[in-house]
Order: sequence, then C-alpha cells, then structure tokens
Amino acid sequence: MSKAQRHIWQSPGLLPGLFSVLAMLVLWAVASQLTERPQVLPAPWVVAARIWSLAASGELWFHAGMTLFRVLASFVIAMAVGIALGLWMGRFRTADHWLNPALVIALNIPALVTIVLAYIWIGLNEVAAITAVALNKIPVVTVMLREGSRALRPDLDDMASAFRMGRLERLRHVVLPQLAPYIAGAARAGISLIWKIVLVVEFLGRSNGVGFKIHLLFSSFDVAGVLAWALAFVAVMLLIDLMILRPWEARANRWRRDEA
Amino acid sequence: MRLDLTEKHFSDRKVLGALVLQVERGQRVAVLGPSGIGKSTLLRIIAGLDREFSGRLSGEDRLAVVFQEPTLLPWRRALENITIPTGCDTALARQLMGEVGLAGREGQFPRQMSLGQQRRLALARAFAARPDILLMDEPFASLDAETAARMIDLTAALLDRSGAGLILVTHDAGEPARLGANPVTLSGQPARLQQALPSPGA
Ligand SMILES: Nc1ncnc2c1ncn2[C@@H]1O[C@H](COP(=O)(O)OP(=O)(O)O)[C@@H](O)[C@H]1O
Ligand SMILES: [Mg+2]
Repeated sequence: MSKAQRHIWQSPGLLPGLFSVLAMLVLWAVASQLTERPQVLPAPWVVAARIWSLAASGELWFHAGMTLFRVLASFVIAMAVGIALGLWMGRFRTADHWLNPALVIALNIPALVTIVLAYIWIGLNEVAAITAVALNKIPVVTVMLREGSRALRPDLDDMASAFRMGRLERLRHVVLPQLAPYIAGAARAGISLIWKIVLVVEFLGRSNGVGFKIHLLFSSFDVAGVLAWALAFVAVMLLIDLMILRPWEARANRWRRDEA
Repeated sequence: MRLDLTEKHFSDRKVLGALVLQVERGQRVAVLGPSGIGKSTLLRIIAGLDREFSGRLSGEDRLAVVFQEPTLLPWRRALENITIPTGCDTALARQLMGEVGLAGREGQFPRQMSLGQQRRLALARAFAARPDILLMDEPFASLDAETAARMIDLTAALLDRSGAGLILVTHDAGEPARLGANPVTLSGQPARLQQALPSPGA
C-alpha cells in the first residue's frame, strides 16, 4: 500500500503534470476574459464557485451519488458477464466460433442505439438504464478477457490437473491471477467509458443524476453549470481510479516485483 | 499402477508403440531414452494428463508429478505453492520445506529463488501429496552437477522415508543407479520399452 502510494507521489511525471494542468487553467482564464460573451465561456473561478455552491447545497452529492450508483451497478454486471464470456470463448474454440459473430456485431453497435432500444423495449426505468450501459461495455471486456484466456499457461493447467485441484481452487489460484492484468486493464478502461455512457443514458431518460442535470442546464444554455457538473464528476472518477483501481492493480502485481 | 498401451500418435505421427509398464508402491523404475523419443508423452499418459491414446490405464494409486520445469505458481509464496495444489496442512508443508533445505524461505515468491531451489520446492510439493508413486520428468536436467547430485540424494532419501514408488524418465543413464531404480529403455520408431543393457557409466 505505502509502496503503491510512494509510486504515485514520487513519480518523475508529477511536477510536469501539475504545471500542465496549471497552464490549461491559465489558458482557460485568459480566453474567458477575452471573449465577448462570458456566458459561453465562463471564467474558472465562476465554475469553481458553482461547484462550491452545489456541494454546499447537497445537490451535488445526491445527483453524483445517483450517477455513481448507475456506474457501479453497470460496471459490476459488465465485468462479471464479460469475464465469464471471455474466459469461455478463450478456452473453448467451439464457443468462440459460435459467439464471435455476435461479439463483432455487438462491438459495432453505437452506444446510442443500445440506449434508445433499451428504453423502448424495457421502459423508461432504472433496469433499462443499467442494462443499456452494461450491454455497451460487455463486448469490450469480453474481447480483452478472451485475449487473456488464450494466453493462459498450459503447464500450470497440467500441474493443477495432476494434483487434482478443485474447480474453484483452480479458478482462484491458477486462472484469475493470470487474468488479473487483463481484468485490471478492462476495469480501468471500462470505468471511464461507462461513466460517459451513463451521462448519455441519464440525459435521455432519467430524472436524476449528473446527465439529467446537464440536460436541464443545456436547455437553459447554462455553460457554467454544465462545466461545474462535468468537472466535479471527473474529479470523483479520478479519485476512484487513484484510490481504488491503481492500488488494487499494484497489489495484484506484487509477485512480479523482487522484494528485498 | 499399470499401463497397457497399444499405441499413441499425434495427428498422423505414431510416437509410442505397444508397451506394458507396471509399477507398485516401493518399486523404482527409470525409463531411459534420447530427447524427442516420447518420454514426456509416456509420463503424461501415466499421469492422466493425456487421455487420447489407445490402451488401458489402471490402478488406484495416488500419483504425484515432478515436471520437467518447476511449474510453480509465480503469484503464490513458497509455502502456499505446497499447500494450495496438494491441500496439505501448513505443518506438513513446513516440515517438507525443511527436509528439502528450504527452511526460512516459506514467504518467498518463486522468482526470488534459484532454479535449484524451485526444483526442490516442486519436489516438496510432490511429496506433500503423499503419493504412492512419484512421477518425475527429467527433474535433474539443466542443474549444475553438484546441485543435481544433491537433489538426487534428496529424492532417494524422501522415497526411502515415504515408501513411495518411482517412475523416472531421463536421458541420463547415470541417474537410475544412483536412485536404485530398475532401468528400462525407450527406443525405436515408434518407441517401445526394452530392458536396458548394463550401461558403461553405471
Ligand atoms: N502436443 C504434441 N503435439 C504434437 N507432437 C508432439 C506433442 N508433444 C510431443 N510431440 C512429439 O512427440 C515426440 C515425443 O515428444 P516428448 O515426449 O516430449 O519427447 P521426450 O520427452 O522424450 O524428449 C516429439 O517428436 C514431439 O515433437
Ligand atoms: Mg521431455
């Protein structure tokens, strides 16, 4: 744990990274002062003040919480189904042959089409929203895990069979550790994709959440509000990546490093 | 353990011909043969890892395998590499690690150990499964002479103590005598078993 954190805070890219964020803020501030119409590009401090008042009123936490709930629910479903499908297709060629055409089609269906169809077929409700997001993500997870399952070491399979390891033991100690880098990759790529799709789902058919708020603000052309909600939620997602996903990835890879 | 093999082929290539191999608890047999003759193939059939052969494999004995490579779980520590695959308890695993000279290394990951140490860990793991018959696939190859000699003595001592039988496959004609194993050779195309001629080195 301490190792992983030192890894982040002492990385040589930290200082340039901070400066580049600072430079973007300065550029934004200058541009906002030069424009004739401040309502189209409000200054950073205007947006910051909006975030502050949203946080103080509690509105931010309610809607961000709803969005986060949808992100997590569809994330868990997409990862579980994607891992199972990917493992199955990677290990059994027949399964791969039968499911691959469906997978290729699924990969190429635009997110918007899935969302609209889910709302029409299932109804304007939470189940449809979460299903639509999960359906968008499942094919991507499946492809990554299929790749990982094809790379599973046959010698370790033999070892497990020779010692008659049980199914669950095998999954837990032989298969999943080998898939961990692929799962971590799919998780990190997945969470950033999923929250963007969740906003669209909320924009189109929910009455709470960050996407719903952006819909309202878009109708009243309130750019400061749109930016405030977007930036606040980006911060939440970055925090999740930094505090949960990265440390977990580092822990899963501990055996690769030499310990003194 | 008894194998009545009619034949074994990969696609259209016949690797092993008709042969019979019977080994019981306490018996030691070494199958000798040059590289590529089909020794690993034979051992995989006996271990139940390859079921695509014609013939019959019978017997109720508990088998354990020491593979050509250590074949450890890189993401599990040394002690867990014994307890997880075999399901044995920690006390036995610790005791076996001591017996193969790995005491104090229980918490290390395999890649922190030398090849010789990894091989001894694989040996400890096999004995942790309390086998009636131990199957070994060239377990002393690619070790330096001194390390190999130590590991051969260790194997012999563990076999003596546990009373397990042994099927060893190797290309080194010197190994059977040092393990007190009855040598048979695998030769021909497709390969069959022959009683070994007394080798000059033995
Ligand atoms: N899975 C396989 N598919 C096709 N041919 C194989 C396979 N495994 C082994 N062989 C072939 O069978 C022969 C015997 O191999 P092997 O049993 O590994 O020999 P040895 O262990 O005596 O060196 C070799 O010619 C090898 O190329
Ligand atoms: Mg071999």
